[in-house]
Amino acid sequence: MQNNLAAMLQTSVNQTSRPVPADNASIWHHMADALQQSFDRILSLLIAILPGILAFLVSLAVFGLIGIALSSLLRRGLTAAKLDEHLAHGRGNSDWVPSTSPTALIARLSFWACILLGLIIGVSAFDASYATATTLPSLLLPYLTRVAEAAVLLIVGTVIARFLARSVLIGAVNEQLQYARFLSLGVKWLVLVLAATMALDHLQLGGHVVELAFGILFGGIVLTLALAVGLGSRDLVSRSLERHTEHSGEHSATPSAAPTTGSDDFIRHF
Amino acid sequence: MATTPPTSGSATPSARPGNGLLVLLAAMTPEQLKRVFANLTASFAAEDLIIASPDAISELIPADAYSSLRIVSAPANNPAWTLTAADFLNAYQLAEKNEARAILMLSSESGSLGSPALRELANAVLATTDLAVPCYDLPPHAGLVNSAILYPLTRSLFASRVRFPLAVDLGLSLRMAKCLADAARNFTTINQGDVPLWPVNEATVAGFTIEQFDVGTCVQPAGPDLNTILPLVTGPLFSDIKAKAAFWQRFRSLPPADNSMPLSLAPSTDAVADIAPMLSAFRLAYTNLHEIWSLVLPPNSLLGLKRLSTTDAAAFHMPESLWARIVYDFLLAYRFRTINRGHLLGALIPLYLAWVAGHINITASGTAPERHIEAVAEAFEADKAYIVSRWRWPDRFNP
Repeated sequence: MQNNLAAMLQTSVNQTSRPVPADNASIWHHMADALQQSFDRILSLLIAILPGILAFLVSLAVFGLIGIALSSLLRRGLTAAKLDEHLAHGRGNSDWVPSTSPTALIARLSFWACILLGLIIGVSAFDASYATATTLPSLLLPYLTRVAEAAVLLIVGTVIARFLARSVLIGAVNEQLQYARFLSLGVKWLVLVLAATMALDHLQLGGHVVELAFGILFGGIVLTLALAVGLGSRDLVSRSLERHTEHSGEHSATPSAAPTTGSDDFIRHF
Repeated sequence: MATTPPTSGSATPSARPGNGLLVLLAAMTPEQLKRVFANLTASFAAEDLIIASPDAISELIPADAYSSLRIVSAPANNPAWTLTAADFLNAYQLAEKNEARAILMLSSESGSLGSPALRELANAVLATTDLAVPCYDLPPHAGLVNSAILYPLTRSLFASRVRFPLAVDLGLSLRMAKCLADAARNFTTINQGDVPLWPVNEATVAGFTIEQFDVGTCVQPAGPDLNTILPLVTGPLFSDIKAKAAFWQRFRSLPPADNSMPLSLAPSTDAVADIAPMLSAFRLAYTNLHEIWSLVLPPNSLLGLKRLSTTDAAAFHMPESLWARIVYDFLLAYRFRTINRGHLLGALIPLYLAWVAGHINITASGTAPERHIEAVAEAFEADKAYIVSRWRWPDRFNP
C-alpha cells in the first residue's frame, strides 16, 4: 500500500515537473469523459425540469379543454336565452360598443380566461416542481414577468400613439392647419417615447440615463411642437382675432364649414 | 301634398279618440312664442289644443296671448339643433298623460311657418296619416348635408321621397309617437337622449303612412359648425341603417315623384359662393388623409379623388357616382369598424366639402340646385346593388 502510494506520488511529481508528450488516445478519453459528465449534468437537469414542463403543459391542456367546453356551453346557453336580441335594443351609438355579438364576446372571454388561468397554474406548478438549489429560476421568472409587462406597455403605448396621431391628423386637417401631419407625427412620437421610457424603467434598464434622455427628448418634442404651432398659426390667430373684432356683439347663427372666408354667410350645411 | 304609401300591411286609423292635439314646443324666446301662439290660435280652436312647453310661459309673455289655451309644462331638455330621442320620448309620455289624439312637434323657429302649414301638418295626423313631414323651401345653398347625404341615402335605402328626413317640425299620430318612443328608450336608458332619431326610417319599417307637406320658406334653427354637425348626423344615420339592414336589403320601388312640392327646378339666381376654402380643405386632406381614405375606399374611388385633387376650381365637380360610392364605402366602414368611427366620420368632412364645392360650381353654371340633388339621389339609387352586395359579402374583390 505504501509502495503504491509512493509510486503514485512519484508519478504526479514527474507529471508536474516535466512535460510528457501527450497520448492522443488519453486526450480523447479525457474529452469523452468531460463531455459525458456535461451530458449527464444536462440530462439530470432536464429530468429535474421535465415534471415541471409536463405539469405546465398538462395544466394548459386541461384548462384549454375546460375553456372550450365552457365557451361552447355559454354560447349555446346565451343563444337560447336570446341575449344578443335583448342587448341589441340598448346598445346605442357608442363608439366603444364591441363589433362582435355579446354572446360571442362572452364565450371568447371565458375561453381566454381559462387559458390565462391554465398559464398561471402551469407556471406555479413549474416553479414548485423545479425546486433545485440554484437561484437562476427564482431570478429569471420574475424578470420574464417584467419583460412581458414591458412588452404589454409598449404595445399599449403604440396603440394609443396611433390613435392619438390619427385623431390629431384628422382634427388638424379639418381645421385646415397646414402642418397637420407634422403635428400628428409629433404627438405620435411623444407617446411612443413615453411608452418606451416606461418600458425601460419597468425593466430597470439604463437607470438615470433613461430618465435624463426621456426628459431631453420629451422636452425637445414639446418645444418643437410649441414653436411650430406658435409660428405656423400666427396667421390663423390673427385672422380669428380680426373676425372676432369685426363680429363683436353680433350673434352669428350660421354654421360654418371650417375657417372659411367668403362662403360662411352664404352656405348653410344643415 | 305627397303621400308615401305604406310599405307593408298596416291598420289604418280611421277615428282617433282623445282630447285633441298636443303641441310640443322647443325652448323659445318671447317673440317666437307669441308668433307660434298667434299661428296656432288662427288655425285651431283653443279647446282642441294642449300646449306643452319647457319654458315658464307666464314669465315670458303676457297672459292675454295664451289665456284661452291649455298649457302644460314639458320637461326641459338640453337645447338641441334637431329633434332628439329624449324629445320623442317626452312627446309620447305627455300625449299619453293628456290623452292627446296626435302630436305636433315644433322647433324654436316654427314661428316662421305659416298657419296653413301648421294646420296641414296637424290635420293630417289627426286624420289618418301617421307621420306628417314638412318640405321646406330653403335657399339654394342651405341644408346641404341633407341634400348630399341624408336625402339620397334615405331615398335609395328606404324608398322614401321625403326631402327632409331630419325635419325639425313634425306631426305624429299616437302610434307613430309610440313607435318613436320605443326607439328612443334604447338611447335614453343608456344616457344617449341627445341622439337624433330617424322618424321616416322608423315609419317606413313599421309600414306607417307618411305625408309630406309644402310649408314654404322657414328660418332654420342655428346649429353647430360643420366639424361637429356632420359626425353628429351621419353617425346616428349610419347606425340606424345598420340596425335596419334586414329591411332595406329587400327591393322596394320608389313612390312616384310629387310635383306639388316647392322644390324649384329653376336655375339659382343667387350670388356664387367662394369655393376656394373648400377646395383648399379638400386638397390639404388629400395630401394628409390619403392613408386613412385608402383603408376605407377602393382604388377606383381613390383614383377619382386623385383626379379631382388636380382639377382646377372652375371645372371642379365631384361625379355623382363617385360621391354615392364614397358615402356607401364610408357606411360599410362604419358597419365593419374598419377604423375608429370618430376618425371615419371626421375623414368624411373634406370629401363632403369637395361635393359642396362641386355642387356650387354646377348651380353657378345654370343648373337648378334641385336638379343636381335629384341626380345625386338617382346615383345613390343606381348604386344600391353595390351596398347590398358588399354589406352581405364584404370580402369580395372590390377594384
